[in-house]
Amino acid sequence: MYPLRLFLKYFQLTLKVTLQYKFDRVLIAAAVMIREMAGVIILILMLNRFVMIKGWQIDEILFLYSFLFLSYSLFVFFFTGIRDFEDLVYSGEFDRFLVRPVGILFQVIASKVDYTAALGHGVLGIILLQKTASQLGIEWTASGILFYILMLLGGALIQASIFMIASTFCFWTVRTTNLRNMLFFNSRKIAAYPLSFYPGLIQKFLIYVIPFGFVNYFPAQYFLKKPEMNEFWSGFMFLNPVVAAVLFALVCLVWNYGLKHYSSTGNALY
Amino acid sequence: MRAYLKIAQKSFRNNLVFRAEYFAALLNTIVTILVNLAIWRAIYEEEGGLDNLQFSLIVTYVILALALFQIFTMDEYVIEKKIKSGLITSDLLKPLSFRLHLFSFHFGALLYRIVLLLIPTLLLYSLVYRVLPPFSIEMFLCFLLSVILGYFVMYSLNFIVWLSAFWFYKTFSLVTIKDTAVLVLSGAVIPLWFMPQQLVHFIKLTPFDTIFFIPISIYLGQIPMDQLLFSLLRQVIWITVLGLIGHVLWKLATRRLIVQGG
Amino acid sequence: MLIQVEQLVKDYQLNKNQKGFFHAIKNLLMPEYQKKRAVNGISFSISEGEMVGFIGPNGAGKSTTVKILSGVLKPTSGKVIVNGMDPFRNRKKYVSQIGVVFGQRTQLWWDLPAEDTFDLLKTIYKIPDATFKKNMDMFSEMLDLHEFLHQPVRQLSLGQRMRADIAAAMIHEPAILFFDEPTIGLDIVAKERIREFIRSMNQEKGITMLFTTHDMQDIEKTCERMIVIDRGDIVCDSKVDEIRQFSDSERKLTVKFGRQYDRIELPGAQMIKEAGNTKTFQFRTNEVKIPELIAELMSRYEVLDLTVQETDIESIIKQIYEGGAPAYESVS
Repeated sequence: MYPLRLFLKYFQLTLKVTLQYKFDRVLIAAAVMIREMAGVIILILMLNRFVMIKGWQIDEILFLYSFLFLSYSLFVFFFTGIRDFEDLVYSGEFDRFLVRPVGILFQVIASKVDYTAALGHGVLGIILLQKTASQLGIEWTASGILFYILMLLGGALIQASIFMIASTFCFWTVRTTNLRNMLFFNSRKIAAYPLSFYPGLIQKFLIYVIPFGFVNYFPAQYFLKKPEMNEFWSGFMFLNPVVAAVLFALVCLVWNYGLKHYSSTGNALY
Repeated sequence: MRAYLKIAQKSFRNNLVFRAEYFAALLNTIVTILVNLAIWRAIYEEEGGLDNLQFSLIVTYVILALALFQIFTMDEYVIEKKIKSGLITSDLLKPLSFRLHLFSFHFGALLYRIVLLLIPTLLLYSLVYRVLPPFSIEMFLCFLLSVILGYFVMYSLNFIVWLSAFWFYKTFSLVTIKDTAVLVLSGAVIPLWFMPQQLVHFIKLTPFDTIFFIPISIYLGQIPMDQLLFSLLRQVIWITVLGLIGHVLWKLATRRLIVQGG
Repeated sequence: MLIQVEQLVKDYQLNKNQKGFFHAIKNLLMPEYQKKRAVNGISFSISEGEMVGFIGPNGAGKSTTVKILSGVLKPTSGKVIVNGMDPFRNRKKYVSQIGVVFGQRTQLWWDLPAEDTFDLLKTIYKIPDATFKKNMDMFSEMLDLHEFLHQPVRQLSLGQRMRADIAAAMIHEPAILFFDEPTIGLDIVAKERIREFIRSMNQEKGITMLFTTHDMQDIEKTCERMIVIDRGDIVCDSKVDEIRQFSDSERKLTVKFGRQYDRIELPGAQMIKEAGNTKTFQFRTNEVKIPELIAELMSRYEVLDLTVQETDIESIIKQIYEGGAPAYESVS
């Protein structure tokens, strides 16, 4: 169980670093949570005069939202190193990983955890899920719970893939963090609301280009069973793990190719 | 005066260099407006009122508010960075007023945002949606005045938050909380007339609505003539109050810097 | 031979235009590279237990060579065999047998005490408890690690940090150690301490070591052999002793004359510098005896002042860089 032991050791250290600045980190986590909550509050304020919009209750939209928060929390818990990959490469820390007898991706993933973001998004996600699920009377059967967890993992992996494809560019010393943030966070912003609110072109974008639709909209249909799902292929509802697995596998291939390129060209910044 | 104009000019040019940041900001504005309009569209479609004036009013409001919100965005970490790097002491020794220096920097960035963000965004959305013209020419002039006052309210509020860097190691939390408060309470996303009465009463006690809500309401002719002057006066009062707080904090902060030796 | 390098070439590809996203995309699709040769077909071999210093000015290719030997970079061409392995095949197995210190960048966790990093390394390299304890005790004794092991690394002095960094690179008992500028930025006392440690580890444990530096003192005080590298080429590979012998025999004689002479002839000495009436000569003590030379000088010319200087290794290296190096052939 070497990998697990090593992972736990890294986990212990990253946690220790975070706990060093307890006050500071708790404040940041709270700030992140409040920032993310703004979206929810605005939605509630906007809709408090209307019972339904386009057939959606407010709780249903917030339920949709909860997927985003929880899967992002999971993503950031496991993949902070991928999110901050540019720093890792440009600071030269990445070269250190190459001289250790452990898998490179493993080190990237294990060596950094942004607990503040994980906590901020996670707590908000759980609150939202708990509130909306009981309001909507969602029955938590064993298979339902399993499905929800599977969808969260898939969602985290889809988001990781988006970040990882951007991080691959670092191997060519091309900076894409800006572009990535632009695509990722704007897509996320759009995905906060039902896809049916948007024109077809944007729907297609969130299905085929930046597949955020599979992070929340389609999986949520399993629980909400909205009639508008008829406009899409019903298989989309279950496609999240497939999209996640295929995407992540592809991205890993590209990443490994980039890694090879990196070791043959070197970090040209030095 | 010359020196400050130079700083503003440099700041303007500096922004031009970062093209990737520019496209990111432009796309952010466009998408934020798009998402918000999609929701309002969904709401009014439900009510069957896409053609009525109410919808055009809200569309105009959202586009104007979010476009203004985008250009009122400032680099929040200038002071923090200067304190961290220790540059603050040498800046204070320069024969320039630090606060005017800082303002010139932000002013240059503001002009840049007006030319390259506000105008393209407004043009784009006025092609797609029916954006209402100003209520009247007089109101438009009042609107312009009110926008300027709104900017100063925002700036004075920001300045207070930035100054906290003299006391705290990191200002991220405070800045983020302030941003969120502005986003929700200033009417940048939802007009106050959609908010619960009690919340509106609360907001009226704060400076937040004087940043975006008052100027845009004037543009749309939603503020009756008899209340117009009062609204502008509220903006002026808040600039004075926040400015005074900022001034006192600034004095305290610089004294602290001298005592502690940077 | 433990380390064997033959005709090693390394070209860096620099992106011509790194600015702007669209250029970046264009670069990616139609790469427009500028080639920069960092290492230009060098060959050398190092046997077990040797301690070799790599010296050269900035950008000479030292760090690149260390990165290639430690498996971070792949050579453009040429052969590298270390400990019977190609550093790029079977990376994990290879790197578990080597230790690397990048002087400019610490591997210690910045916000945590150094002991936490050691703890992590213990897990990473699967070091048995007994071995770990034995090594930690040894490092504590030799490097006084125990004095600061419990303090966050960010509070350590550069010298303390470097000591901990070196111990961290050795905790898994590697057969070969690569150091990239281990003494950079340190004060004399701290440097001395690290040199002493490196030397004793090499002598007592027989660990093969290769380190880069641009401080000649590092080499003089620790290595038996030095390789001088400049602009990607090896310009000198010899025993430090031989160079020292050479430098021992070379002297500089600076003379201030009482009046202007058009020509000065001194058998056995060559004039190398001239500034007005002050002239500098170079000679070897095994060719001319100092008293004889001075007697000769005094009898022929009017002399106001004179000094005789030893040549240190540093100035010989400088000569080698500058391409001249008449001395070099005779020593190698």
